[in-house]
Amino acid sequence: MSCEIKEKERAGIINPIFTCQPAGAQYASIGIKDCLAVVHGGQGCVMFVRLLFAQHFKDNFDIASSSVHEDGAVFGAVHRVEEAVDVVLMRYPHVKVIPIITTCSTEVIGDDVDGVIRKLNQGLLKEKYADREVYLIPVHTPSFKGSQVTGYDVALEAFVQTLAKKDKPNGKLNLITGWVNPGDVTALKHLLSEMQVEATVLFEIESFDSPLMPDPDHSAVSHGSTTVEELIDTANALGTIALNKYEGGKAAHYLEKEFDIPTIIGPTPIGIRNTDTFLQNLKKMTGKPIPQSLVRERGIAIDALTDLVHMFFADKRVAIYGHPDLVIGLAEFCLDLEMKPVLLLLGDDNVTYQEDPRLKAFQENVDFEMQVICNSDLWELEDRIKNQGLELDLILGHSKGRFIAIDNNIPMVRVGFPTYDRAGLYRHPVVGYAGAIWLAEEMANTLFTDMEYKKNKEWILNVW
Amino acid sequence: MPYHKFKCSECIPEREKHAVTKGPGEDLTSCLPLGYLNTIPGTISERGCAYCGAKHVIGAPMKDVIHMSHGPVGCTYDTWQTKRYISDNDNFQLKYTYATDVKEKHIIFGAEKMLKQNIIEAFQAFPYIKRMSLYQTCATALIGDDIGAVAQEVMEEMPDVDIFVCNSPGFAGPSQSGGHHKINLAWLDQKVGTFEPEITSKYVINYVGDYNIQGDTEVMVDYFKRMGIQVLSCFTGNGSYDSLRGMHRGHLNVLECARSSEYICNELRVRYGIPRLDIEGFGFKPLSESLMKVAMFFGLEKEAQAIIDEEIARWKPELDWYAKRLQGKKVCLWPGGSKLWHWANVIHEEMGVEVVSVYTKFGHQGDMEKGIARCQEGALAIDDPNELEGIEAMKTLKPDIIFTGVRPGEVAKKLRVQYLNAHAYHNGPYKGFEGWVRFARDIYNALYSPIHQLSGLDISKDEIPTEVGFLTRQMISDVNINKEETTPIEERPYTGDYDCVTKLRGKTYPRSSEPLSDAV
Amino acid sequence: MEVSLEETQKDRVEQLVDYIMKWCLWQFHSRAWDRERQNEGILTKTRQLLCEEPVELETPADKCYWVDAVILARDFKATYPWLATMEKKDIKSLMQGLKERMDFLTITGSLNEELTDPKY
Repeated sequence: MSCEIKEKERAGIINPIFTCQPAGAQYASIGIKDCLAVVHGGQGCVMFVRLLFAQHFKDNFDIASSSVHEDGAVFGAVHRVEEAVDVVLMRYPHVKVIPIITTCSTEVIGDDVDGVIRKLNQGLLKEKYADREVYLIPVHTPSFKGSQVTGYDVALEAFVQTLAKKDKPNGKLNLITGWVNPGDVTALKHLLSEMQVEATVLFEIESFDSPLMPDPDHSAVSHGSTTVEELIDTANALGTIALNKYEGGKAAHYLEKEFDIPTIIGPTPIGIRNTDTFLQNLKKMTGKPIPQSLVRERGIAIDALTDLVHMFFADKRVAIYGHPDLVIGLAEFCLDLEMKPVLLLLGDDNVTYQEDPRLKAFQENVDFEMQVICNSDLWELEDRIKNQGLELDLILGHSKGRFIAIDNNIPMVRVGFPTYDRAGLYRHPVVGYAGAIWLAEEMANTLFTDMEYKKNKEWILNVW
Repeated sequence: MPYHKFKCSECIPEREKHAVTKGPGEDLTSCLPLGYLNTIPGTISERGCAYCGAKHVIGAPMKDVIHMSHGPVGCTYDTWQTKRYISDNDNFQLKYTYATDVKEKHIIFGAEKMLKQNIIEAFQAFPYIKRMSLYQTCATALIGDDIGAVAQEVMEEMPDVDIFVCNSPGFAGPSQSGGHHKINLAWLDQKVGTFEPEITSKYVINYVGDYNIQGDTEVMVDYFKRMGIQVLSCFTGNGSYDSLRGMHRGHLNVLECARSSEYICNELRVRYGIPRLDIEGFGFKPLSESLMKVAMFFGLEKEAQAIIDEEIARWKPELDWYAKRLQGKKVCLWPGGSKLWHWANVIHEEMGVEVVSVYTKFGHQGDMEKGIARCQEGALAIDDPNELEGIEAMKTLKPDIIFTGVRPGEVAKKLRVQYLNAHAYHNGPYKGFEGWVRFARDIYNALYSPIHQLSGLDISKDEIPTEVGFLTRQMISDVNINKEETTPIEERPYTGDYDCVTKLRGKTYPRSSEPLSDAV
Repeated sequence: MEVSLEETQKDRVEQLVDYIMKWCLWQFHSRAWDRERQNEGILTKTRQLLCEEPVELETPADKCYWVDAVILARDFKATYPWLATMEKKDIKSLMQGLKERMDFLTITGSLNEELTDPKY
């Protein structure tokens, strides 16, 4: 009985778990208020990412392209960046932050984005936009490195590298959430507020969920609301907690190294135990006590879970895929719920996953056959089910794997990004005690529905 | 020239000639915007890239094919599960996508070796699939990988497989249209004529330029088969690879979307003498006439007339029910390409809506000629619209509904403008007689949505009708309809099924009545 | 008020043009040489059908023009009752005017810069 960690053996990808780096950088960019990123590359690198965000959130997000065409690919295209920045600034008077996000094509042709930013800073911005506060941020995200996960990480690091400036201590905590949903931010801010901890949340994305108002002029545009001032002020925090090691860890380390800010990386507060740890970390960093209200809230969650675990969850075999911190957090939670996360799929070639202490803990302690596949694709899951006899009771993952569940009659809870084939999931948290309740009950109800469709002891629910 | 100037684009003079208003007395020699030019960086245009135009739009609807993109993973991921082109083989092409996963080391040292390994592995994973389309992307085009040579090598080693190579990197052209062009000609040059199809009828067509969105292709093919026509190939909705290799044996190319696939029809005419007939699957009159034209080519007028009569008798009362309730509603017809002209006139003629604006994201001037020729006087025509222009146009024109893509649809939502998906449809298919009624129903349901009505109420200051517990769509739509006088008894809302396509599969059809030895 | 023959024909040509623009696609092939071929092929056959002259159906291309022409002729007759009142020679002249107008709108006067692109 052991946990095996290994890499996918095939060279290529059949049904990817992730898209590429620029998408992650774009996701980070929409978290910043008055920010409109320019993606330097072909138009598809933006158009499809915007579509993906629109699919997931059922809302529109603005991101621009430098629209590199054939001539640019041959002769270089930095002038397209200059033009894009000018056009954005002319037409969007509120814009203060423009990340320039590179792609595979513009990295391969060797466009000097840092150089063009220097040129713009000294030229265009001084001459034409002297009265505007504008920050141009180079974000190098060649698509042939890492994945959307590293893209998010790299972008966040670029933002703080460019913006963070030492000033008076602000007494606030930097909370780097990683790639989460608006519902997660609400849950995290609730915990902070109960603890009376003031924090700069990177990123404030509750406003991704924007209202349709009777007067169209008052309808909000879906966009994050972390300000550039807050990003500048991250250098003056009393500490940083980055919840996700692989999505924001780099930025946290940068702030630690550059400005001596005490830093805690992880854990992703998924489940009771990780949320407990998060609260302990908050307490350690701020000296604030954990209030009775959270003891009570935790009690409600524990109460809900107690009704489910040994009755329904025990020994259920689960496969989980998606963002590494999410997958690991979910697996840990599943273990606490008496389930067996038999297969974890991490979808890029990050070689440091294998060294992750959380995975090592699985290796040391799990008492069933478990596999962690790194550099994985979704075929690793499907092939095991279809051709290698893997039996599963539940799949946890995002919508791109939906057909594995559908075609193999395995119940699936949508979690992660994107979840476009279910309504409104971005509104629900997976983190905190609230997230623990939502996840457990979603899993239970999914299993119940499956029992009913398959007539598999569906009568058991009569007297539950 | 009646150019329209957007306030939001005053600062970019290059946009000056990209929008026109079709004023009184204007014709195509005085009223046509520029088109298919390089996009202005930073405008937030809606265009995609040439890779997606090739792979996502035209290549990937082919159903019995491993669609492999040679490049980093993003291109593949992005063009997977973002369209609704179904197929009758359990949607293999929707479910599976393949990337060679090019990494930095491959950029430096070349990726041809790993490409070969990838191809072999993919065939091993799906031993029942013997056909592959291989798509170049920006990264691998720039490093100069010769994917054609690799494909050739594999085909020599694995004689039972066949591989098509498409060199259409994302940057190859101002929009996705560059990719349509490249894949059309690549297919023609590489594959047409390399397979001899079985001919089972005297009457043989290729059905070209339809991508089986929600089943459009299958609906149209059903009509053709009912006439006794053999649909040799579908380019490319629900199309099979080998049948498309046999396109040279068609007697007639029946073309729907000229934007995406006129090139192959033009070349098939020049190289093989197969005539090109442009047809339309949308709208009762255009569809009836289209079916009749195809039929007449083969002398099958009687068969076609029988189908047209039957279908119109079945569906006209339902179209009429909706048309009566759609009169005068203002529409922005903002699709990507061909619906611009397929819908511009007929939705006005048959449903009574007023088209106040048309646009094309990726089209050429030739597409806009058709759109402007067909739309009503006063309509605003925009080439390569950008986000702010779209918003400005909606605020000025105040349409009741727009027909566009998912994302611009979300922009419209916030402006309290209803939206229908013009690319993937809401509840399609929209082609065919029944499909046209489904389209009318979707428009009606959007316009008369009780929730849409509620969205305009400001509870902080408006008078709220507290005595009303609910409204039905008909309570809203029928306020001005005097039922006794204007609604003939047989008119009714849609009575078809949620899924009107699956039942077409496995249907049996009359075989051509004459001996095949007489075949042309 | 007297309307000259010439003006009547002009007005009728415009009506026919409007019909073609609204309901047909054959006039909009993407290259000038194809538009010339299409206009010539289809409008000639339409004229022959309206004048009850024999129509050549030798080649597949002829047949393809012919199916568009049959539908067009039928629609013209159904939409414009004045056609039935016209002499054949006047129909010929009208159709000649229509052909010239269509060539101007879609080819010689067209603003479409791709018409002269030498390749498809």
